[in-house]
Amino acid sequence: MTRTLRLAARQAILEQRSFWRSAEYALFTFAFPLMILLLIGAANAGSHLPGTHIKNTTVFVPGILAFSVIVAAYVNLGSKVAVLRHDGVLKRIRTTPLPSGAYLGGLLASTVVTAILITVATGLIGGLAFGAVPRTDESLALAGSLVLGTVCFASLGLAISSVITSAESAGPVAYASFLPIAIISGVFDPTFSGLPDWLSRLVAAFPVKALADVLQNAYAVRPFPAWDLVNLALWTAGGAAVAVWRFRWHS
Amino acid sequence: MTDTHVTYERAPASVIDGSAVQVRDLRMSFGTKEVLRGVDFDVRYGEVFCLLGPNGAGKTTTLEILEGFRPPTGGVVRVLGLNPAAQPGRLRERAGMVLQECGFPRQARVAELIDVWRTYYPNPRPLGDLLEVVELTEVRNTQVRKLSGGQRRRLDFALALAGDPDLIFLDEPTTGFDPEARRRCWAAIENLRGLGKTILLTTHYLDEAERLADRIAILRDGRIELCGTTHEVAIRAGLATRISFTTPSALRRGQVPPPDGIDLAVRGSESVCHTGNAAMTLRLLLAWAIEHSLGDLDGLAVTAPRLEDTYLQLTRDPP
Repeated sequence: MTRTLRLAARQAILEQRSFWRSAEYALFTFAFPLMILLLIGAANAGSHLPGTHIKNTTVFVPGILAFSVIVAAYVNLGSKVAVLRHDGVLKRIRTTPLPSGAYLGGLLASTVVTAILITVATGLIGGLAFGAVPRTDESLALAGSLVLGTVCFASLGLAISSVITSAESAGPVAYASFLPIAIISGVFDPTFSGLPDWLSRLVAAFPVKALADVLQNAYAVRPFPAWDLVNLALWTAGGAAVAVWRFRWHS
Repeated sequence: MTDTHVTYERAPASVIDGSAVQVRDLRMSFGTKEVLRGVDFDVRYGEVFCLLGPNGAGKTTTLEILEGFRPPTGGVVRVLGLNPAAQPGRLRERAGMVLQECGFPRQARVAELIDVWRTYYPNPRPLGDLLEVVELTEVRNTQVRKLSGGQRRRLDFALALAGDPDLIFLDEPTTGFDPEARRRCWAAIENLRGLGKTILLTTHYLDEAERLADRIAILRDGRIELCGTTHEVAIRAGLATRISFTTPSALRRGQVPPPDGIDLAVRGSESVCHTGNAAMTLRLLLAWAIEHSLGDLDGLAVTAPRLEDTYLQLTRDPP
């Protein structure tokens, strides 16, 4: 057991080093959410949600926090595993006695590190630039929500990796499969509204809005997001089931 | 041997008498397609054994079964005394595998990657030693994606050797390489042999088999056609030794009868015969030459059967 953990840690270190060595990859992963945070945040600074005293940015910053988690866990892990599979790296790992658990554990651990770094960066910049800070009595809930979000979208990332058929399409497929949902979930626009009834119900069924809701609850008082937690748990279970069912070591 | 820096190691005494790989009546079908139809061969400890055959003969399938990636449809397979399909984990601690096509993590550096690979094994070889055996010391800090095809293949070898295995599988190690890259890959394989490793390699290149292998098995259409040393294989293929000499003018003009008991073909200036018993034929020929005062037979040449002829003959004929 300790050997497996040690091997997983070693693998995670290699993954992190490779991640930071690939400048465009790391830059894009971090720059994309942070750029949106600063640009759209600046446009919203000073305004309030209609009919409330809640500042737009108090809702917007946790929305981008959700976006950051999704980029780190879903897009990065999903496309990474697809590329590893397509390049035959997973196949090569199978020629060694390294336990599969140690290898996949290392990939997941590296994903968690990336997710922590990007959420800390998003949270800090959100706080410093727009004064958006979580409610003090909700910090535990915030941490728990971030963990749940990371686990949920990592399992969905592993699931999507098995339907990506080439290394070139990995990034585009991962982004295209969630960006439209993120937009109509209002992640980039705190005042977003006016969707037809059926569409807002559809949006509510996806985990993007659920994660944003849960995180927004930690920043601003909103109705307790019980349904959102159920939603995330179901998507986690579904994602994990597909990931395990469809997982292949070779393309 | 091209290397002087690596020390020779012997196989463990307890296993030196047995075979590293035993294959008995191996059968494999994919659906209704029969890919292997009863394959038998042994690989002895310390030898380089080559599975030679045209594309689609079943070489890679055989290797995948031996590596524990596929359970066979029938037959018995033992690798280092283990059943590969049932004990893949234990096998992979002791057998290094170089697959036909297999990628590297894009951003990893050469030495960094080998070092991580070493942690997967209970008794890894030293990093510097691995770099030296495959001649990659000078690119140890290069990112893998910047390596040439030949360098990548030698990195494959280093990763397969990282756990100091008793046995190494190489699936078509030089396919698609230019002559210089092939030469360096061969040198690396000879270094592996110098370490006392048992090597099972597949190839469809004759010169590769002839250059590297101690013994060869020709696999065609799911069966072993022939197995033995290069020379044995050629002889057992029923190929004859070729004896030729410059046609004496007396023979050409019909002043001398052709030799008895020899199927001699006079092709203008050259006379040629093929024989399964070179010594006997030579004795008859020389006696005939002395009898008719033809001297020493100018241009006399004896050519042993070559693997290439065997191989071409086997793979040209319909099964």
